Amino acid sequence: MLLYNARLAWKSIRRNPMLSFLIVLGIALGVGVSTTFITAYHVLARDPVPGKSDSLYYVRMNSWGVADDPFLRTPPPLITYRDALELLKSRIPVRSTASFQSRANVFPEGGARPFSRDLRLTTADFFPMFAVPFRYGGPWSREADARPESVAVISSALNDRLFGGANSVGRTIRLENHPIRVVGVFAPWRPRVRAFSLVNSALDAPEEIFLPFALAGPMELLPHEFSMNWRTPLPGEDKLPYASQLMLNEVIFVGFWAELPQARQVVDYKHFVDAYVSEQKKLGRFPHPANNRVTSMLDLMEEMKVVPPQTKVLAAISLLFLVVAALNLIGLFLGKFLARAATVGVRRALGASRATIFVQHLVECELMGLAGGLLGVLLSLAGLAVLNRVYGDGPGGVAFFRLDLPMVLAAVGLALVAGAIAGVYPAWRICAIPPARHLKTQ
Amino acid sequence: MLKMENVTKIYRTGMVETRALRDFTLQVEEGEFVTLTGPSGSGKTTFLNVSGLLDGFEQGKYWLDGLDVSRLSDREMSRIRNEKIGFIFQSFNLIPDLDVFDNVDVPLRYRGLKAKERKERIERAVGQVGLSSRLHHLPSQLSGGQQQRVAIARVLAGDPKLILADEPTGNLDSAMAREIMDILDQVNEAGTTIIMVTHNPEHAARAHRQLHIADGRMVDLERIAPFPLNRPQPVPARAAV
Repeated sequence: MLLYNARLAWKSIRRNPMLSFLIVLGIALGVGVSTTFITAYHVLARDPVPGKSDSLYYVRMNSWGVADDPFLRTPPPLITYRDALELLKSRIPVRSTASFQSRANVFPEGGARPFSRDLRLTTADFFPMFAVPFRYGGPWSREADARPESVAVISSALNDRLFGGANSVGRTIRLENHPIRVVGVFAPWRPRVRAFSLVNSALDAPEEIFLPFALAGPMELLPHEFSMNWRTPLPGEDKLPYASQLMLNEVIFVGFWAELPQARQVVDYKHFVDAYVSEQKKLGRFPHPANNRVTSMLDLMEEMKVVPPQTKVLAAISLLFLVVAALNLIGLFLGKFLARAATVGVRRALGASRATIFVQHLVECELMGLAGGLLGVLLSLAGLAVLNRVYGDGPGGVAFFRLDLPMVLAAVGLALVAGAIAGVYPAWRICAIPPARHLKTQ
Repeated sequence: MLKMENVTKIYRTGMVETRALRDFTLQVEEGEFVTLTGPSGSGKTTFLNVSGLLDGFEQGKYWLDGLDVSRLSDREMSRIRNEKIGFIFQSFNLIPDLDVFDNVDVPLRYRGLKAKERKERIERAVGQVGLSSRLHHLPSQLSGGQQQRVAIARVLAGDPKLILADEPTGNLDSAMAREIMDILDQVNEAGTTIIMVTHNPEHAARAHRQLHIADGRMVDLERIAPFPLNRPQPVPARAAV
């Protein structure tokens, strides 16, 4: 009967093409708007590192200076270079990584014009922790971190520009005056949220060059994002080698992540951080009461409001818009159905029950809802294109906001719900009409 | 086949009550051909609607084919309408955007028959009324007589035990009307019970029994011809109180 009802629905749609189009368009507009904003929320709010985010924890320590009154309630969002080096020594996490953003000039081979690029200094564990996909080669080793070796992982876009897209593993790039050997090229990678940098520009694209963390000193790479300092350097400290200055100052600019798959490890690691801070207090650091945090990735996203609250509100409003659009279509369906009351009377006389007539008309509503849903998906692609134009595509041309299969299915589901909202009452009205009333008798 | 006892049907419009059927009592045997006459507003249509389970009633009892159908659910009444009753209307009541095949198919769909059986029944029924060459014509492409024959085919395909015909020849010329009556005679001879409302005395006289309804009550005229033996000869009807 479903195919039969679909056939009857198609005949009905064709009988009134303009009315049918208006109904489909009404549903499409509702679905298009709601899918656009729900997708935006879905993109921003979804698990940034599927399968890993529930085991990745961010470390913060209450290292504020004595005079930093306004910030006492929460610890600083970043840690110092020396603290990062100490935390990296712990064997409690399965993996751990420290990173910060810097910037350097790239000197292409063959005398082409130099250009500057953001780069990230980090450790070998960064790449498996944040599931970075590789096109050629892979990350450097922990031994390369320890030495440190002048190696780099670069993006596909940079690899295309410098090496024509070829496998550049083993080739050399020049950053400032330093030759750096390429050990890996990552595949086009545009995570919706920069999970590794939630406290700094979480929605930006990843950097194009990754270097070992310990190269900060030898290459004198300064932090390029947020940093704060509350310690006045002693006389002569500014004449020291940059690497020494990094170990002495209290400039916070490093983000630190630990991979702790088990709850016991989280507890143990928190104790480790607390014990470390206690030891540093004896050296005159961390003057404020301990307020150390080991925060899960998803909790940190919530805390940092990575997903703007307005996004959630817009998504809710867009759903309301869909409901209102569907309610407005009730009248159109009612007029459409009641116009064929005589035909329904004949069907009832021939043996159709009320339920049969109800289902027949509901199928028609859902068929039109489905058509509206498909058109709505196309409209939402246009809406997302507008949003992408505002946010800008990431490197490699990967759109920031894009429809995935769950969202397409959600759009179709919304369309069917809209069809039901718009059609249930008219379908009930037409099936409830006494069959004798509209039969053309003498 | 059909037995009504003291059936009363009341229409309520605001404070006004109209008794369309009053203590209506009737018995029709299986295979009988009964015609029903009466002035406008006498309750003929109401009787057809009630007997065809298209409308309910307030008092009384109604048995159809031995089953008490006085207080059935909508689903049960729909099933009985589909399986046991066939309707023929004055204005044909074909579904305009379905062709002949699909119009005759409608009741069979609701019966849940398989496609092959439906096709066989449809082709047989349409052939019986002589419209095999018009199987995929729309109603708008048929004459009035042809449309009524399609309506009859729709009934025949379902093989009902009871046919309720409401002025089936009212919109047809005399030649077409005679054709339709001939078909109904053949159907009745095959054993189907027919109750037909008509204003045409010639057609009324073709029945086994002629009934008259007035003010919602039945007045049974003299049986025109012995039932079930012999076909009735046209004789003038005599009213009997």
